[in-house]
Amino acid sequence: MKRSLYALLVLLLGSAAFAQTTITVAAGAVGQELELTRAAAQRYMEQNPGVTVNVLETPDLSDNRLSVYLQLFEARSPEVDVFQIDVIWPGDLAEHFVDLYEYGAREVADEHFPAIIENNTVDGRLVGIPWFTDAGLLYYRTDLLEKYGYDGPPTTWEELTEMAQTIQDGERAAGNPDFWGYVWQGNSYEGLTCDALEWVASFGGGSIISPEGVITINNPAAIDAVELAASWVGTISPNGVTSFGEEEARNMWQAGNAAFMRNWPYAYSLGNAADSAIAGNFDVSPLPAGPGGSPAATLGGWQLAVSRYSANPEVAADVALFMASYEEQKIRAVEGSLNPTIMALYEDAEVLEAVPFFGSLYDVFINAVARPSTVSAPDYAAVSRAFYTAVHSVLTGTETAADAMAIAEADIQDITGLETGAPTAD
Amino acid sequence: MRRRVKPARVVGQVFFWLLVAVIFVYLMFPFYWAIVSALKTQAELIRTPATLWPDQPVLTNFRSVLSNDRFVRAMGVSTLVASSVTLLSLVVGAFAGYALGKMRFKGKAPSLYVILAMTMFPQIAVLAGLYAVIRVLGMPAIPSMILSYMLFTLPFTVWVLTAFFRGLPDSLLQAAQVDGATLFQAFRHVLLPLTAPALVTTGLLAFIQAWNEYLFALTFTIIDPPSRTVPVAIALFTGEVARQEPFGEIMAAAVIVTVPLVVLVLLFQQRIVAGLTAGAVKG
Amino acid sequence: MENANGLEAAASVTPTPKRRPPSRLVRVEQRTAWLLLSPTFVILAVIALYPFAQVVYSSFTNAKFASSTETRFVGLDNYRALFAFTIKELPPRLDEDGEPVLRDGQVQYESWVSVLPRQPQRFRQVFQFSLLGKRYVLGAVSAEFIRAVWDTVVFTVVAVFFETVLGMIIALTLAGNFPGRGLMRAAMLVPWAVITVVSARIWEWMLQPTRAGLFNTVGSYLGLSEGRTDFFGNPTLQLPSMIMMDVWKTTPFMALLLLAGLATIPSDIYEAAKVDGAGPLRRFFRITVPLLRPTLAVALIFRTLDSLRVFDIFQVVLGNQRYSMASFAQDMLVSRRDLGMSSAASMVIFVIIFVFALIYIRMLRVDTR
Repeated sequence: MKRSLYALLVLLLGSAAFAQTTITVAAGAVGQELELTRAAAQRYMEQNPGVTVNVLETPDLSDNRLSVYLQLFEARSPEVDVFQIDVIWPGDLAEHFVDLYEYGAREVADEHFPAIIENNTVDGRLVGIPWFTDAGLLYYRTDLLEKYGYDGPPTTWEELTEMAQTIQDGERAAGNPDFWGYVWQGNSYEGLTCDALEWVASFGGGSIISPEGVITINNPAAIDAVELAASWVGTISPNGVTSFGEEEARNMWQAGNAAFMRNWPYAYSLGNAADSAIAGNFDVSPLPAGPGGSPAATLGGWQLAVSRYSANPEVAADVALFMASYEEQKIRAVEGSLNPTIMALYEDAEVLEAVPFFGSLYDVFINAVARPSTVSAPDYAAVSRAFYTAVHSVLTGTETAADAMAIAEADIQDITGLETGAPTAD
Repeated sequence: MRRRVKPARVVGQVFFWLLVAVIFVYLMFPFYWAIVSALKTQAELIRTPATLWPDQPVLTNFRSVLSNDRFVRAMGVSTLVASSVTLLSLVVGAFAGYALGKMRFKGKAPSLYVILAMTMFPQIAVLAGLYAVIRVLGMPAIPSMILSYMLFTLPFTVWVLTAFFRGLPDSLLQAAQVDGATLFQAFRHVLLPLTAPALVTTGLLAFIQAWNEYLFALTFTIIDPPSRTVPVAIALFTGEVARQEPFGEIMAAAVIVTVPLVVLVLLFQQRIVAGLTAGAVKG
Repeated sequence: MENANGLEAAASVTPTPKRRPPSRLVRVEQRTAWLLLSPTFVILAVIALYPFAQVVYSSFTNAKFASSTETRFVGLDNYRALFAFTIKELPPRLDEDGEPVLRDGQVQYESWVSVLPRQPQRFRQVFQFSLLGKRYVLGAVSAEFIRAVWDTVVFTVVAVFFETVLGMIIALTLAGNFPGRGLMRAAMLVPWAVITVVSARIWEWMLQPTRAGLFNTVGSYLGLSEGRTDFFGNPTLQLPSMIMMDVWKTTPFMALLLLAGLATIPSDIYEAAKVDGAGPLRRFFRITVPLLRPTLAVALIFRTLDSLRVFDIFQVVLGNQRYSMASFAQDMLVSRRDLGMSSAASMVIFVIIFVFALIYIRMLRVDTR
């Protein structure tokens, strides 16, 4: 205790003597990602000798990270200047962040995917600068597709259902009783909102709440989509899929026990690791489409936001914009396979050489569906829960899809007070 | 086996050892699974059907945990925090327990209820308020953890020690008083040695409770990473890429943390009991 | 056993004093008692007073957590929202001809959405039941909370029962002197020493719904299942799985306390009973249980209190599928940021726990005088 008091004293004296500004960035704790963030901080400090940038690791689980942030906001703590925030938080947390447009983000905003910028803009204020992104992908086993005589990945859910069933029957007959056709995220949590939004949107069933603020979830296309997914449980997907998150799905897939998987891009490099049972035998494609719809991927990813309680918002904003700049995102893409939010980077030769599968991701990202987090702010968490709880009840067979979507609609109406309506075809 | 043993005794012995074996297996099998999982490669960890013993045990998980400076540091912090909490709870709790168990005074029952009521709110409910108090006091993370853990260890030690003190016959205390001992001397030389096993057991339980605490520690150390405790450090274990969960490493950490804890605690237990009992006045 | 003998000896020589000493001594004792208690109360006041007051106050407001929205006093609204419930009849589902729809010979009923009121507050289904040939639905504004209270109480009662029984068996078995006692005592500590959050992960891994998990693998080898049992997804298996985890984790707490309690029972009492020809069962119920009662009471009280506040394992394993009372309060606070409701829920938890504590204290006749 004595030592930390002493350290505090030194720090106080030091900062007074050299007018050193300290900026603390709360970021992910993940191995390589953290190293890249530290390296970026180092580069910033070299260019700006008057500034010290600290990187604080925060829990990797989104919910845990949120609860830590909330404690800091509740205390109006000036100790953290820059926050790494989930794509679904800008709406809910907007009041705690400065408008980055006032700190020079105007010039760079249109380099990023417009869907993300729109998502991060609350009442005309840009509360977070996009840092890296994520979207749902279909993983498929190239060796098994070939073995069962298919030329390519499925483009419709119907095809996927049929192919998964054929491969599953074949592999089970060939002596693997643990084999399943399709694995995904079916637990009752935010991940199910992502998966189910993809089904619904790809059936032309809208995005729960339209960007104009109309609740559209209770429509025939959405009901069909959820019904189809429920029919997978116990046929081409294990019963246990209703308690699967990302890692449960990946573990099964990477052990070679699934023909298809819906997951985020992170599973790509892990699947090709040296000790992976499926290394070199899989590829990714956009998720399939429903009848009359087009493929949809739910948008994920992280932004950098500057705290309103920061003592040095100008410097903090400068650090955030530096870390999210073209050069920095390029380094993160090349060295860490983190998906850039700057569109031009998907055509950058060096990026494509380092991570060839990025080229095919551009279309996925440009067409990605954002969750209705900004339009339903500050109640997105409650809206999402109403939706995934309803979908989960269909997957486990406690409600019919029609009832569940009616329940979700009523719930969301009570939460947000918005009007209901039909999704507009776009 | 020259002596003839009664058959009933043999059956009894067999039954006893069988019971011991069953208890041992029951207590240990999840921990066994943690050890086995820590020794497996990532590929074998997710293989179906699960293997009951690794095909090729590897030490990579253990190595990467032990080479993680932050984890090693966290073990030190946890030891410091949990020992301080235990010591403080025992001293303060023994005073209170003695008063509540052995003395007559007005307001005893309300005191017992008030102390017990401290543990009746869920941790999450008091977290924000507690964080505010700590910020007002300007307390660094480690002392603030020590202080706030008293919220659940102190009521427990007070109640257990009250029960144990009360179980000792008054006559003993009065005998000491007849000998001209002050209350404090009676406490130190008569009651303390007698309650040594209870003190050590209570301390042990409190120590582990403090050692395992996660929610307060996570919040109080947000902006002070060097003060993170083991549960927080484990929660911050991550894979190479986001979302990947290093299950093997978590299991290795569980084993690394648990085994020395159990061994140390057992060694200490005997020492402490012996030490405390030594001061006893002989009847 | 020198101490126990000494204790007996002291007891036999000291005459029981009947005359109370003069009032000055009483006053001294009174003052000393409060002096001894003061550190406890000072520490608890510093850490608990403000947070507790804040919980009580917030529970009567509509406060939002980490938000600058204006806080208003709402009286008992939060409590009303937690407890409001209603029972409505569910009409059978009719087809175009006005005949009840049958599926597998079962009458199908309308969804609860159409029946439960939405104004002024939304009611959601807690459960359905049949009575006298009619179908009813119990609806509540905070259906999740009602379910959480029920689940937590069931969890606590069942888990604490098994913990007590197993703890007693283990304590009695390990109380004697036998080769390997040290090893067994070490083994006994292991479950309690494993970090709670991590132990939840170990169990989660063992109970995976595929044969990557220990239970499903062993189950399929023994022919008990197909190796696809979904312990955490199947609603009927969720609570038993949680109870199994908690019993394993906390039985050592019980066993250790009881073991310490057993150690304070002088062995000559047993010897005397043996000489009198009392059998082991009789000795257990006539000597062990009564003498162990104070220890047992404290152990039961604290185990029950902890169990009613269960949080980590529900949060880690069941997430948003099913709540304990405390994980409901946490969820209210973090994902809905409803500080008012969360505080009101915490107050209810406080009261429920207090009632449990009172019941124990009365039933086990804990001496608080």
